Amino acid sequence: MLDQFLSTIADLAKASGVAGFFVDGGWKNIVMILISFLFMYLAIAKGFEPLLLLPISFGMLLTNLPGADMYHSEFWVYQTVGDNDHYIDYGNILQHGGLLDILYMGVKLQIYPPLIFLGIGAMTDFGPLIANPKSFLLGAAAQGGIFFTFLGAAILGMSAAECGSIAIIGGADGPTSIYVSSKLLSNSDSIGVGTIALAAYTYMALVPIIQPPIMRALTTKKERSIVMGQLRPVSKVEKLIFPILVTVVIALMIPSAAPLVGMLMMGNLLKESGVCDRIAKTAQNELMNIITIFLGVTVGATTTAKTIMTLSFAKVIILGVIAFSIGTACGILLGKLMCVLTHGKVNPLIGSAGVSAVPMAARVSQKVGQEEVPTNYLLMHAMGPNVAGVIGSAVAAGVLLSIVAH
Amino acid sequence: MQDIAVQMLASKLSGHDYTATDIASVVITGMSVVFIGLILLVLFVSIYGTAFKRKNEKKKAKLEAEKAAAKAAQQTAAPVQKIEAKQNEPVIEDGIDDEIVAVIAAAVTAMCSKNGKKPVIKSVRRSVAQRDPWAAAGLADNTRPF
Repeated sequence: MLDQFLSTIADLAKASGVAGFFVDGGWKNIVMILISFLFMYLAIAKGFEPLLLLPISFGMLLTNLPGADMYHSEFWVYQTVGDNDHYIDYGNILQHGGLLDILYMGVKLQIYPPLIFLGIGAMTDFGPLIANPKSFLLGAAAQGGIFFTFLGAAILGMSAAECGSIAIIGGADGPTSIYVSSKLLSNSDSIGVGTIALAAYTYMALVPIIQPPIMRALTTKKERSIVMGQLRPVSKVEKLIFPILVTVVIALMIPSAAPLVGMLMMGNLLKESGVCDRIAKTAQNELMNIITIFLGVTVGATTTAKTIMTLSFAKVIILGVIAFSIGTACGILLGKLMCVLTHGKVNPLIGSAGVSAVPMAARVSQKVGQEEVPTNYLLMHAMGPNVAGVIGSAVAAGVLLSIVAH
Repeated sequence: MQDIAVQMLASKLSGHDYTATDIASVVITGMSVVFIGLILLVLFVSIYGTAFKRKNEKKKAKLEAEKAAAKAAQQTAAPVQKIEAKQNEPVIEDGIDDEIVAVIAAAVTAMCSKNGKKPVIKSVRRSVAQRDPWAAAGLADNTRPF
């Protein structure tokens, strides 16, 4: 009787999650769980991108609890069926997958990032960009970080897909990073979508720490003190034409950027039209919130110990911060050039907002500018390059996909 | 020099599914396409922006002309009244109500009388600030250091 009781208890202990920590490599799960606690602390106590970092960190916790079986990385390994070497058996996942497996289909099939862009579009005012179209150039220059990092990753010996996935972190756009990496990365690559997303969102949260030293180093006190005049008011018709024009031009030029740019601009048209208030509000709030939860928790779930605790992850972290810094520097340098060409009418600080972390990068330009002249309001001027950066990084993503994927 | 750089890059990249030329083409093509795409947008947005700006200016000029004509007609109809300002009377900018002047004077007196001073209002004129104070307060609130 006692023996039976003890053996049942022993069987239960073996089947429990705790036993999973003591099997080969189980200690890595403990480390990952501790890292998830750190991210939860950063999100809750320090306010680092909490809307995304908190679901990501909780997903990380769930996936690293042995035995929970909410996410199975083995389901997502590509198989070769006939000519198709990127085959995934979605029927099997629907039948046998856990909750997070099923939600992860939205990432793997590139459904969530365009829907997030729909919400971003419905929340964005492109007025400052329409009032000063030259801001587009700053948004383009800040994408320099993406392509220079591509070069750096290639020199470090990474595969083309890895280079493209790491480089896109320089665009400082989480959904775009997930979109590109989920399309490019395959079994043979040493990094995963979760790694890229984690690095991208961490750096986006660190914008107020990473950018100011670069901004101060590349500009003079005189340049930082430039006060910019008010922007002209933009009429409603101009705001209505803008999303349609951008969609047509970009989708015709780089078709692979169409899902991101198209949804971004559709969201914006819903908002600006003024006749779809209910839909626009859903895109801005409910839809955006639902997708954010799904995206965050599933991306977090892909960060299993075996994908994160590798040398490649360290490379992603280092190259990611380089990509981000070069993007900031490129924006500032073009800002300086524009300052010279306009005889001191453009404050180069708005150039750093060309990386698309909206609206944090614009707020950083505002803050650094205000340190020199407290009455200087650069925020609206910086919003131009900032929203141009969103379009720019979507275009850069399209370019990377069309070149690297082939 | 360039040859050496390309050779170095090529040697580092050997054994992968791409060549140094591929990488260079990604970087150059990528940046060019992004710039060309966004420059095209700059051109289109500038063109229609200028068109709308002109249209708005024309509308504004027309409205102003109508306003000026109406004012001129009113002035010719009304008898000309010229009131000489007294020597100690404050100079008030046109368009500021007497009530506003009284409120400002009361506020200044209330603040200064605490120090035992007797203020004299010499002139009341609009501030040259570019932004209306409510908008400035809103901006300051939204851009407070984080």
